[in-house]
Amino acid sequence: MTLTLLDELLLFSGATLLVALFIGRGLAAGWMVTILYGGQLLTLLKMAALGYGGGIIASSLSFTVMGQNLSWRFDALSWFFALITLGSALLSSWFACGAWERSYAKQGGNIWLFHLAMALNVLSMLILLASGDLLSLFIGWELVSWAGFLLMALAGGVATQAAMRYITYAMAGGMAIFGGLALVYSSSGSLQLDAVLIAVESMSTTKLWLLVILFGGGFGVKMGLLPFHLWQAPAYAETPGPGSAFLGAISSRMGLFAILLVLVKLFGIVNIDSLKIPFTLIDARDLLAWIAVFTIIFPTFTAMKQNDARHLLAWHGIGQGGYMLLGVVVADAMGGAGGLLHVFNHATYQAALFMAVTAVIHRTGTADLNKLGGLVVRMPLSFMVLLIGIIGLAGLPPMNGFVSKWLVYRSLLNEGMPLLFLAAVIGTLGTILSVYKLIHNIFLGQLRVEHEQVKEAPWSMMAPMLILAAIIFITGLFPGIPLAWVASVQEVVGLPATDYTLGGVESVSGSLDMIWVIGVLFAGFGIGAVIFYSAGRSKRVHQLDNYAGGHFLSADVRYQYSDNFYAGLMHLVGGWYRGSFLWLEKSVISLIDFLSLVMQGLYRRANAEFYLLSTALFVMAWVVI
Amino acid sequence: MSSINQIPVIEAKKGNPLARVFDELVRFCRSRSLFILHYCTGCGAIELPPAMTSRFDMERLGIQPMVSPRQADILLITGYVSIKTLKRVILTYEQMGSPKYVIGICSCTVNGGMYWQSYATAKKLDEYMPVDLYIAGCMPRPEAVIAGLQQLMDSIHAGKANSWEDYYRNYDYYLGNQQKLFGDNWQTPTDVIAEAKHYNLLSKGTLGVHTRLLEQHQQPLEALEMRLGHNLKEPTE
Repeated sequence: MTLTLLDELLLFSGATLLVALFIGRGLAAGWMVTILYGGQLLTLLKMAALGYGGGIIASSLSFTVMGQNLSWRFDALSWFFALITLGSALLSSWFACGAWERSYAKQGGNIWLFHLAMALNVLSMLILLASGDLLSLFIGWELVSWAGFLLMALAGGVATQAAMRYITYAMAGGMAIFGGLALVYSSSGSLQLDAVLIAVESMSTTKLWLLVILFGGGFGVKMGLLPFHLWQAPAYAETPGPGSAFLGAISSRMGLFAILLVLVKLFGIVNIDSLKIPFTLIDARDLLAWIAVFTIIFPTFTAMKQNDARHLLAWHGIGQGGYMLLGVVVADAMGGAGGLLHVFNHATYQAALFMAVTAVIHRTGTADLNKLGGLVVRMPLSFMVLLIGIIGLAGLPPMNGFVSKWLVYRSLLNEGMPLLFLAAVIGTLGTILSVYKLIHNIFLGQLRVEHEQVKEAPWSMMAPMLILAAIIFITGLFPGIPLAWVASVQEVVGLPATDYTLGGVESVSGSLDMIWVIGVLFAGFGIGAVIFYSAGRSKRVHQLDNYAGGHFLSADVRYQYSDNFYAGLMHLVGGWYRGSFLWLEKSVISLIDFLSLVMQGLYRRANAEFYLLSTALFVMAWVVI
Repeated sequence: MSSINQIPVIEAKKGNPLARVFDELVRFCRSRSLFILHYCTGCGAIELPPAMTSRFDMERLGIQPMVSPRQADILLITGYVSIKTLKRVILTYEQMGSPKYVIGICSCTVNGGMYWQSYATAKKLDEYMPVDLYIAGCMPRPEAVIAGLQQLMDSIHAGKANSWEDYYRNYDYYLGNQQKLFGDNWQTPTDVIAEAKHYNLLSKGTLGVHTRLLEQHQQPLEALEMRLGHNLKEPTE
């Protein structure tokens, strides 16, 4: 028996897990694991043909349980997501090695457990991505859920609470998926993808509705779709720094992977489009699209109110997921490309942003946006990385986030969905406002006395951040590189493939060439630079030589305040934050509490006559009716 | 023609004609876009809102308020200057970039006005900084303010409004007056002598007894350098 490339990859990933498990306490274990992630990435790159329309690579591993054949294989979709997974795992793990590890261990953290949890996450994600039928998908899904829990619960305290909340949601989602699987099995008699594909064609509308709700809800939990989004921000934010970079980059995208596989590939957008909601003008697809835009808007504006940089970013992670789903649901060539490309783009800038924030925490000990400021003169490289990251997050040129958001906007306009477009733009507005808060409160303004001696983050942390920043810019300049992979993913899941060029997309309804866009932008910068540098020498002054109504400023008095940021805006929109989803969550909890009390009351009462009587009554009623 | 000074004399213009045209253009532009930092010290400030808003509308002359001294051209001092305020006025004046113009509004800036007998008021503003123009009155009406500003514009256009150079040329005199009022420990964050060198305005009156006194206790405020800090030693714990 010869090993296929996929076998090699999975074995490599398993070996990484074993190394982390058994010699993870030894010297330079972090570096060893990082190198192994590099090896996994190389093995994945050997399968690069998949990203350019190559055939499926199957694993030799397959077995039969109760008549169900379980198999694992990689196609373009799996390869694309695996590339992001391994890339972010490699860079986050690299980021963790060295200085961060030492300070984490000094604070009482368990480095061994951290690397172990990371390796477990990567392995389980690869298993999920390789799933070749619905049963192996479910196994991978549960593995990913529990591995995620391990990483989230590491830090203890608040993190454990957040992780408990996550696993509660994830279990509920898992049950929904299991219900969906049972339903699929009952109608098709098999969980093989081909069999399901045939069975879907003859399914009744009610059944399809039920399946869309069960699978959509179950996968939506992982993705943080409204109204199942509450768990995500605290769980990701409280994970130890590099872990949150990894989770924020890829973890919740596993939900999108499953949605693509089941809802888009198996059920088909056309079938979902035919599910009308009675007495309204909308159908299941519109419903998904609206859920996606509300997932953009609400979490983004919640992010704006966060005072912890990590929480702010984590809330954005939920919001950006909305763009991905929105693009996929629009389902034309541009929309699908935008949604899928956003997965890649989001992973790059979200990891960079979390790393930059972690670097700031590493040096100053806090991520509290009210306790920082002016760090640009002490951590200029971290500032650059954060700046590049937020330009990507806000979707502005010349970074990669612009391309994917542009594609999504363009497809919404092309397909005649102006309201969704408007909602998506409102979301972007919130993004721009909140990322400005992020960079302003950390890096701009007055440098605090206690941060006078702060240094730039060590090179072990700087290097992956700079690599990510370079990727963000390069894939913004040449979006054709990831768009090639995206196009083959589109073909695999049955969406129309986009017509891409190196600089963007080619389309009759409007092309995009980022090389031109960025060329013009930099020409503008060049003109500005010529004016600036030809105007003579400028004079730099100390921050305290500043105008504050003529007051003499001193370092011990703050003259620039960052708390209660956007007070004016909050005066206008503050009343709209009602915490409705928290209320919904609490009401579900109290309902379940109540039901469990009722049940306890029943089974704790050893009342034989009561049971006998009620059973007899039930049987009589059944017979009579 | 009662005085000999009023007889017009046509001087032969020298130098490169192209440079003259350029200088003329620069002066024209400069006089047509003036940003005011109005340091509202006293009651004269009440005459500025009507001067700025639609009734008299000084923006039609290219004059508008500016919030920071770094971008402002005119420092407008509108009323009596108490000793405490004067410190702030001097700080603000030194923060402005050259060329800069000072206008004293109301009688109080000319000679103390109705506060002449006050122990806490600086009587003559031009003892502490060069003043380009006084607009006297208690208080001057907006018409007078606008007329004064127009006069300043004319003298900027003519190239005559260069009293800001006087602050650098005679810094020792102004610093002496300031030290007399505020005590020997007086200092501002701005390094005026370095600026005088930068503008090539270092002259006999720039340095003297008072600047030497300043140098004895001056603590320079260097700009925060942008640094990576990798060359610094790790703090030992």
